[in-house]
Amino acid sequence: MILSLEFKKIRRTGYIPAFLAGGLLTSAVPAVHMAARSQSFTGLSGTPFHILMDANWGMMAQLTILLIVCGCSLMYNTEYADRGALKMDTLPIRQVCLFFGKFTVNLICIILVLAMQTISVTLCGICWFPERAPAIAETLKGMGFELILLLPTMMLMLAAASACRNMWISLGAGVILTFTGSMIPPKQFALTQLPFAAPYQTLHTISESNIFPCLMICLAEFLVFGAFEIIYLYIRRKLS
Amino acid sequence: MNKHSFSPSQQRPAIGMASLLQIELTKLRRSHILWILLIPPLILWIPSALNADVNLHIEDINILPEYNFFIQGFMGMAWFMIPATLVICTVLLNQTERTNKGILKMLSLPVNTGKICLAKFLVMVLLIVIQMIFTISSYYIGALIASDLTGYDFVLSFPYAIRVTAAIYLASLPAAAVFWMLAVLISTPIFSVGIGLASLVPSVLLLNTRLWALYPMDYPFYVLMTEYGKQAKDIFTSEIRWIPLIPIALAVTILCLGAACLRFGKSEIR
Amino acid sequence: MNMIETKQLTKTYGNFTAVSNLSLHVPKGHIYGFLGPNGAGKSTTMKMFLGLTSPTSGYFTIDGRTFPANRISILKNTGSLIEAPAFYGNLTGEENLEIIRRILGLPKSELAEALELVGLTQHKKRQVKKYSLGMKQRLGLAAALIGRPPLLLLDEPTNGLDPVGIHEIRSLIRSLPQKYNCTVLVSSHLLSEIELLADDIGILNHGHLLFEGTISSLKDYARHAGYPADNLEETFLAMIQTDNSSRNRGDRR
Repeated sequence: MILSLEFKKIRRTGYIPAFLAGGLLTSAVPAVHMAARSQSFTGLSGTPFHILMDANWGMMAQLTILLIVCGCSLMYNTEYADRGALKMDTLPIRQVCLFFGKFTVNLICIILVLAMQTISVTLCGICWFPERAPAIAETLKGMGFELILLLPTMMLMLAAASACRNMWISLGAGVILTFTGSMIPPKQFALTQLPFAAPYQTLHTISESNIFPCLMICLAEFLVFGAFEIIYLYIRRKLS
Repeated sequence: MNKHSFSPSQQRPAIGMASLLQIELTKLRRSHILWILLIPPLILWIPSALNADVNLHIEDINILPEYNFFIQGFMGMAWFMIPATLVICTVLLNQTERTNKGILKMLSLPVNTGKICLAKFLVMVLLIVIQMIFTISSYYIGALIASDLTGYDFVLSFPYAIRVTAAIYLASLPAAAVFWMLAVLISTPIFSVGIGLASLVPSVLLLNTRLWALYPMDYPFYVLMTEYGKQAKDIFTSEIRWIPLIPIALAVTILCLGAACLRFGKSEIR
Repeated sequence: MNMIETKQLTKTYGNFTAVSNLSLHVPKGHIYGFLGPNGAGKSTTMKMFLGLTSPTSGYFTIDGRTFPANRISILKNTGSLIEAPAFYGNLTGEENLEIIRRILGLPKSELAEALELVGLTQHKKRQVKKYSLGMKQRLGLAAALIGRPPLLLLDEPTNGLDPVGIHEIRSLIRSLPQKYNCTVLVSSHLLSEIELLADDIGILNHGHLLFEGTISSLKDYARHAGYPADNLEETFLAMIQTDNSSRNRGDRR
């Protein structure tokens, strides 16, 4: 019920078209890059997925994070703009449910974006590396890994948006965090596990011994931010 | 004249741009925008000041440590944060008007809509001036900390720092005009913001192609990179290619501002 | 002499006609009551007078001037309160009025006077987003009255006010033509209100003008047309119902 309600609320806000457009844009990155500079990559050894991810994932990840920042800010902006949030407070519905409803909508849209990126990377592999067999399982594993790494970023950003009545503040905070995340040097394992920084990692570039800790840290961050949001909403309700 | 008619005493001179600018600045009271302007320079300079010793051990590039400290620190600002702040400022300006329909009151007052649009653009570029002041201040604080920590003098002369900052600022103005036009023409915020932010991501790639001059989001980074080229041989070109930069930048700025001024308020007047 | 005149003024949004062939005559120095149920086209008409929406066909003049050629001149002389009052929530009441004062180029004393007039002086330092509905309405009125414009367009000015506030604002509007030498176009969906306020009246339903004239001529018209004439509220309701049912019959056909 909550989920259909949240999908209804974002109607005509441009949210869904923006995610579709964002998905297409991020998916276009490897295609455009290959079309422009294929000779720099076709000679490299390794699987097409690894080559393409190494060449493009930084940019694709940053665009995806920015899409999350815009999507989360807009979602809560529609709540606050015409005081819809106030009405929701007066209805027999829990704020926490609304928050997780919104998170689920975001998650579905990001899965859609990642699916588009997966298709694009696979097609680029087939097109520019015809002699090398596409490794579907490896691609799916790699993109699934990215989804888990994106979870804390999504949770933190939506929590930030829920706390800001003014869209420019949540957007500003999100952009600053995106920027900070992109500045963290990949060698510092602990720092790269933070939200907004973690999604730049790829499954094949981190050492095998770090994969499990990385996944666990991201899931733990995701749960901690979720718990913080529950506490925050509880306190806000008590104080208002 | 009939005593109820529109009287000549009501025919006061039209409001000047300075007053309009003041009005637009008044509207931003309690908006917390200064924090968004202040935090990025601090995030950039303070950690790089704490890790300043890396500048003393650069082997592959022939550059003096103080210049490396300055230019590396500025890169994040020129590539991402200045244009991103401009995009956030467009949201601030638009949402302030739209949240309680303040724009409807503005449109029902005797002031030219193009003038309001231009005043808002000036506010936007003024906010970036404030960010530049924060950036220079953060740089000097960072440089002093770095000097103290390493015993090496990282502080560059004030005229040099001001010159580079001013050049980067001026180079960001065409991008500001593009973002402002997007915000005026596209009334759905997620699209104008999304396009604006997405346009920043590929700017580093485009800088290395022949298309850089056609991409205003590249200009601030280009100016900084030429400065890098001056201080470190063979890193980048050391001369700004004024042609085609100046004519394209001027054309983009004028066209975008013109389009924005023509269309401002039109989505509210249906 | 009329302050506002409209000729066959029409506004359509796609298939929906908000205002249809409206020909209004608002005399100078009068209070003109613009009456109609919600969605009759009152706000749309007033928005057209301010250039906030443009007519699909027909035209109007305000003191002989037209849009868009005389936009600035018309707006300099017109104070307005349209729909829910528009304001900047992050600013105080005083700061909101200060913006308008500066744009209109008025002396500082006008600000205090406008606040005093609507009874907001003691709340002037409070942020508008913390105002009650009635206080926002009063601020909207102050924003319209500041500078004593010769023409006032007030769209449902007593919305959100308590009974004492309604009485106060009504008395204020009633006194305006004498006090400020101005013409007032005031809209409402309550005939009882318009009856107490207006010299002339225009009744609008579904964008069509059903009646225009003085209150006494409305009574004559009602008697003549077979509507109840003793209670004007009933006259108004009967007129609207008759118009709605003839419209429904037309639609069915």
